[in-house]
Amino acid sequence: MTGVPVEALQRVPLFADLNKHEIKRIAGLFKERRFSEGETVIQQGSGGAAFFVIDSGEATVFVDGKEQRVLKPGDYFGELALIDEGTRTATVTASSELVCSGVTFWDFRPLVEENGVIGWKLLQSMVKIYRAAQQE
Amino acid sequence: MKEVVPLVKAEDSTIFGSKAVGLGQAMRDGLPVPPGVALSGSIVEAVAGGDERTIKKVAKSVRPLGGPLAVRSSAVDEDGAQASFAGQHLTLLNVPSSGELTSALSEIWWSANSDSAITYRQRVGLFTRPSVGVVVQVLVDPDTAGVMFTQNPITGADEQVIEASWGLGEAVVAGRVIPDHYRVDRSGEVLERTPGRKSIAFRTLSEGGTVEEEIPPQLVERLCLDDDQLGELTRLADRCEHVYGRARDIEWAIAGGTLYLLQCRAVTRAGP
Repeated sequence: MTGVPVEALQRVPLFADLNKHEIKRIAGLFKERRFSEGETVIQQGSGGAAFFVIDSGEATVFVDGKEQRVLKPGDYFGELALIDEGTRTATVTASSELVCSGVTFWDFRPLVEENGVIGWKLLQSMVKIYRAAQQE
Repeated sequence: MKEVVPLVKAEDSTIFGSKAVGLGQAMRDGLPVPPGVALSGSIVEAVAGGDERTIKKVAKSVRPLGGPLAVRSSAVDEDGAQASFAGQHLTLLNVPSSGELTSALSEIWWSANSDSAITYRQRVGLFTRPSVGVVVQVLVDPDTAGVMFTQNPITGADEQVIEASWGLGEAVVAGRVIPDHYRVDRSGEVLERTPGRKSIAFRTLSEGGTVEEEIPPQLVERLCLDDDQLGELTRLADRCEHVYGRARDIEWAIAGGTLYLLQCRAVTRAGP
């Protein structure tokens, strides 16, 4: 077996509309990464290397030092910097022992380009972020 | 093409990374390098991806080394004259045995694909996909360790500069102590012996990993190298330059009276 278990990705809403063959293929691109409680997973302002999906544990999102939300199993983060090759827009810190499945920049773009369904869901998610920002 | 080889056979830096090939060359030239195995970038990525066949293959190759192990990254485009990945990619010391190697290799793969490593690569103009090989070696548990430059890295003067502290060299490399500072000229004359302030040392733990230990007060400012050891180090510096060329940055350790070469790379910044 290479990559992460298919079951770990099947729970993720981003991949919910993929069939088993498609999920198995993209699972092979992901690698497990573990973080200790309190460890910084991604740092606001740094370059972005990977996109993560949470398998188990929880993480907290901070923007400019202020807590925004808590991420749980099935949530994902880190896609923005990989899409525009910009910097991380938030800091994510493990708030418990955290196990993630991660895919790096070099595999993320082909993954999205080859799977329009994933691209569409990412677009929907970004529109929500945009609308929320407009209302602030 | 073999991707798991005894360290002495690592010859292709596009497969194993320059650290592995440098150490392999040192072994072939008779320099005192701890025994080990070189793993290619593809092998490390396969282990990080959970490929069971590769994991078994690596465990079988490493088992003869016994334990504990030092596991060092050897990035394929590391430490050229223009770029130094010092501090970016991981070294994991005191991995107890081959059974714990998988998680160590996964950590190293991720260190090469971390946000900070990628940011550094972008800054120095490296836009290619990282590939990180690994060197797995018998862990040397030193009495004294440190770094040595075969040319003064600050002034560019033709002299050897040695920094030393008690225990594992990480105390020096990580800047956790003020190490002893020595300068030796080409004739072997010691130009400077300045004791540091070596209040801690890193030591290995029997169950794996390392621990920070306080140094007894009487040793904090005592020089940790005598003239015989300085002589051995400067002879090692000369041999390294003969093998690799001028301006070398060396990591060394002395354990049980034996001097070991742990790493040798080009100085990426020398002189004013």
